[in-house]
Amino acid sequence: MMAEMTVEEMNQQFKTGTVFRAEEIPISCSPSAKDLEQTLHGVMKLNGLIIKSLEEIAGRGANAVTYRAGKKFGHEVAKYFRKIEDIEEALRELSYILHGQYTFELWKPEDKENYVVTENGETFIYLVFHDCIVRQTLRRNGMEQGGPLCQTLYGYVVGAIEEITGRRAKLEIVHTGPNACLKKLILK
Amino acid sequence: MIEISVDAAACNGCGLCVKDCPMQVYELRDEVSVPIRPENCMGCLSCHEICPAQALEHRGVYPSKRNYIDIRVCEMINRVI
Ligand code: SF4
Ligand code: SF4
Repeated sequence: MMAEMTVEEMNQQFKTGTVFRAEEIPISCSPSAKDLEQTLHGVMKLNGLIIKSLEEIAGRGANAVTYRAGKKFGHEVAKYFRKIEDIEEALRELSYILHGQYTFELWKPEDKENYVVTENGETFIYLVFHDCIVRQTLRRNGMEQGGPLCQTLYGYVVGAIEEITGRRAKLEIVHTGPNACLKKLILK
Repeated sequence: MIEISVDAAACNGCGLCVKDCPMQVYELRDEVSVPIRPENCMGCLSCHEICPAQALEHRGVYPSKRNYIDIRVCEMINRVI
């Protein structure tokens, strides 16, 4: 484990003596993913504290900031996707691309025939988020789900969907759980 | 397909799972929770977190990644327990 190593041993492991040139960017990651656990936890801790502080200072405005950040990120990433008109196909492609960070699937209760539902003048699709780096960060910090950090994810999905399909959308949280969360993507 | 079972002997009939589940999977019958719509379960496991009697069991749920868990701390706890 990294914490039990001396600085010298760590330096050896990270090969700090190696000279990297721009054209020689290593394609593999050293040390192994398991050894990066502490780094990952450190990033989670930092992210959690940034969000906590933002909430303390900006109050409810924190949600607007994080949502906007997520949305920009979603637009930025999805710019490189092919444009798809079919919303279900676009969501499946997005889920495939995001696999590992956010794994989500289209979801419908047994009694519904289609994923796209129109009810009370609103057209929506339910999405179940399984793997989620936001949820993991919040749980690492003992923070509640559904707050400003979750807004980055909503913004991200909305931004990406808008970019891919050209349709405006809104994501609402329906339920959060320790293993999965249910969201409603409202199409405009 | 997700399978849900309730330990009827452990369940205290508090109804928290009935209230918490967004898919109306449970119903209280004779003060015991009964999973009447397991096919609607989306595997969030918030009912597990809320049940004070730890009376619930789910099978066939996709286990989401838990990279936030501190493996060393878990190993230490496992040695103690
Ligand atoms: S939350 Fe647990 S104890 Fe309460 S009704 Fe449901 S299964 Fe029974
Ligand atoms: S896991 Fe979630 S959806 Fe499934 S029964 Fe429990 S609360 Fe309901």
